Amino acid sequence: MSKESKSTRRSFLKNGAVLAAPLVAATPATVLADDGLRTRLARLEDEAAIRELHQNWLRHINSGSRDAEERLFANPNAAEFEEGIRSVALDHSGEPDAIELTSDGKSARGCFHCALEIETAIPQDCTLAQMAHAQGGGFVRRAERRILRAQYVRSDGVWSIAKIGFGNA
Amino acid sequence: MPETPGTLKTPYPKEQMHRIAYTKLSEQQISDKLSKVGGPSSASPLADVFAGKSVKIVTDKGPTLAYTFRKNNSLSVGENGGSTVDAGYGALTLSNVAFFSHMIPGTQRGYAVAIDQNTSLATVFELWFSGYEDKREVQREIYYGYVDQPGQEPPKNRHVATNRLEGKGFYWKQDTGAETLEFYPSAAYSNFVELSRFGGELGFCGPSDYIKINEDLYVYTRTECEFSGTFTAYAMDLNRIEQIGVRLGFDANDALEYYVFRGKGEWLGQLAQFEKFGDESGMPVPAAAEGQTPAKGARRVYRPLKTMAKMTPAQVDAVCAKHTSAFAPRAISPGANAPTASMAGNLGPSTNWLAGKSFTLRYDHAPAMEYRFDDAENLQWRKEGRDWTKARYQAFESSPGVILFGHLLEGEPNHDGHCIVADFHQGLMTCFNGYLNTPYFANEAGVKIHFGVIDMEELIPPKYRRHEFTYDMIGRAVSQNYAPGLTSMHLYTTPHSLSWIIFTNSDAGGLEWSGPAAYVKIRDGLYFMYWLEEACNGTLGTILVNLHTMRDVGIGYNCGENGLNMNALGAHERLAGQFDIRRFYQVKSAGGIV
Repeated sequence: MSKESKSTRRSFLKNGAVLAAPLVAATPATVLADDGLRTRLARLEDEAAIRELHQNWLRHINSGSRDAEERLFANPNAAEFEEGIRSVALDHSGEPDAIELTSDGKSARGCFHCALEIETAIPQDCTLAQMAHAQGGGFVRRAERRILRAQYVRSDGVWSIAKIGFGNA
Repeated sequence: MPETPGTLKTPYPKEQMHRIAYTKLSEQQISDKLSKVGGPSSASPLADVFAGKSVKIVTDKGPTLAYTFRKNNSLSVGENGGSTVDAGYGALTLSNVAFFSHMIPGTQRGYAVAIDQNTSLATVFELWFSGYEDKREVQREIYYGYVDQPGQEPPKNRHVATNRLEGKGFYWKQDTGAETLEFYPSAAYSNFVELSRFGGELGFCGPSDYIKINEDLYVYTRTECEFSGTFTAYAMDLNRIEQIGVRLGFDANDALEYYVFRGKGEWLGQLAQFEKFGDESGMPVPAAAEGQTPAKGARRVYRPLKTMAKMTPAQVDAVCAKHTSAFAPRAISPGANAPTASMAGNLGPSTNWLAGKSFTLRYDHAPAMEYRFDDAENLQWRKEGRDWTKARYQAFESSPGVILFGHLLEGEPNHDGHCIVADFHQGLMTCFNGYLNTPYFANEAGVKIHFGVIDMEELIPPKYRRHEFTYDMIGRAVSQNYAPGLTSMHLYTTPHSLSWIIFTNSDAGGLEWSGPAAYVKIRDGLYFMYWLEEACNGTLGTILVNLHTMRDVGIGYNCGENGLNMNALGAHERLAGQFDIRRFYQVKSAGGIV
C-alpha cells in the first residue's frame, strides 16, 4: 500500500510530464494528453469521493452515530467490525493514506494508518464493577496503532463501503 | 442504674437505617401529611431578611419565581407568571447567604433557595414527592439563576456544581440537637454518621450535590435514597464552620420532618482528590446514560437492595449444592458478585509456605481447628475430634511470617468459610468466620470473629496477648486499584463500618456505599479488616492491609443465585488522608466525665 501511495505520487509527476508535452509535441500528443487528463481527472474525482466517504465514516464512528455509519455501507450488515472501538484518528506518525482503484474504476481499496481508542468492558462480577457500570463507567480504554483496510464499491456512480477491518500496524 | 423501671435508654435504634422497613407511603398519604403543615419549623429564630419585600428569581432553565414575603414566615409565590399562592416559609441567613424554603400548598412540591445577597446569584432546588416508585423519596432539580434587579443587566455568573468540597469532612451539631459526622469523599455522593439519632455505630451514604457560591461558601444536598428518602440541603461557610439549611422527608415513623436549621461544626480534615489539577468540575456522574437526555431531577442512584438476590435458606442450600467453589479460575467460577477476576488483577503471588505443615488453631471461644496442608492449594481440616475434610485453599504472605489463607467448610450447615490471618512469628491468629442463613436474607453473609493462637510444633504462642480490635484505621481513607479501570477508595468511617467510593473515568469520586466492618491490628502497619455488603449483594469482603508495602490482599465470600464462591482479591493502595474522628466514638459517662 505504501508503495502504491508513492507510485501515485510518481504517476502524478508522469502525468505532469504528459501535460507538459503539448509545448513540444504535435496534435496526436494533444489528443493523448486530453485522454490522459480525463482519466486522471476521473481518478482524482474517485479518490476524492472515497476520501470524503472515509471522512464521513470517521465522523460517524467518532460521534457514535452508528445508524448513519451503516448507511455508508453497500450492505449495512457488513458494518460490523471489532467491538469496543470508540474512536479512530489519523496516525500522523504512520505512513500516508493510500487509495488504490481497480482498472475498471468500479472498486477500490484503502489503507489508512490509525490510532484507535479501544474500550473493554470490565466484567460485572463484583460489587465494585457493578457500581462502576452503574455510574456510566466500568470499562478500560487503551490506545493502539492499527492499519484500517477498507474495500469500496461504486454503484450507480456512488461510492460506498463494502468491507472494513483493522490489521496490526 | 435508672431510678425507675422503664427508663432504660440507649442511643441506638431498634433497627439500623439499612434494616428499617420504611413504609411505602402512597401519594394520598403523603398529600394528607403535607396538608397539615404550613411551612418549615425552626429551632432558631427565623430571619426577617425578606419580610416586607418582593423578590423575583429568574433561573436559566427553570422557573421564574415571583415572591412577596409578607412576614418572616408567610409569603405568596407565583411560578412563571402564573397566579400566586400563599405559603408558609422559613428563612435563615449565614454570612451573605440567605436560605429559605417553602412548599406549594395543595401540591407535593416545594422549593429551597440559596441567595448570595452580595452577587444576587441564586440556586433554586425544586423539591417534590411521588417522583419515584418509592414515593416518599424526595426528588430534586437544581436551577441556577439570579434575583432580578429592575433596571439592571442580569449577572453573567452563576453558582456552579463543583468538586471543591470533595474530600472534606465535618462534625455538625444542628440547633435541633442532632449531631452528625458528614464526609464528602465523592463529588457525587456523601457519607453521614448519625451520632445522636442512631448512636453513631454505622455510616451511610446518599447521592449528593455540591454547589459553589464562592471560595468560602458552598451548598450541599443529600437524599437518603434506599432509606427514608429524606432530603437535606444546607449552605455552609467553610471558615466559620456554620450551616443553614432545610430537612424535608418522612422519618422511620412516617412523621413529616420539615424544618430549617442552623448548625455549627468542626472541620475534621481533608482527603486527597485524584482528579487532574485544574479540574474543579462537579457532578462527575452523568445523570443519564450516554446519548440520552436526563429527565427532570434525574441522577444516578445506587440501589443495591433493589437489585441483589434475596434467597431463603432452602434456596441457599440448593445453590450451594449445585455450585460451590473456592479459588477457582474465573472460567469455572461463574458466581455473580463474588470478588473474582476483576478484583484480582493486582493480586500478589500466593505462597506455598504452608504446604506440608500441620497445626491447630486454638480459638478462645470456638472449637479448635486442626489443619494438614497437603500442598499449596489443598488442605484437610477438622474440628477437634471429628473427621478430616478436604478443601481448596490459597495463602498469601503479606508480611514476613504473616499468612492470610482461606477455605470453605464443606458440610457445615451454614456453609461457613474461614478467612484467617496467622502470624507465625507471634503465634497469634484471627479468623473472620463467614456464614450464611442470616436473618434478613439467607444468602447474605454474616461474620463471627475468632481470636486465638497457633498450636504448632516448636512454636510457643503467648498466653494472654491476642490480636485486638483497633481504632488505628478509623478516619483513614485508602484507595485501592484492583485492576486497570477498577479503582475504589475505602473510607473507614466508624469502628464498625466503612464505605467504598468508586472513581469515575476522570478519577473523581462517584457512587459510594457502605457496610458494617471491623478492624483488627495484626502488627504495626498491618491490619486485617472485613466489611459486609449488607442489603447489598451480601458479600463478606476481607482484606489484609499492609501500610508499609501499600498493598492489600484479601478473600471474598459470597453466595448468590450462581452459588457459593470464595475468591482472592488484591490491590495496590494509596493513602488518601485521614479525618480526625476517633474521639467521636469514645463511650462517655452520662455524668459528664469522659
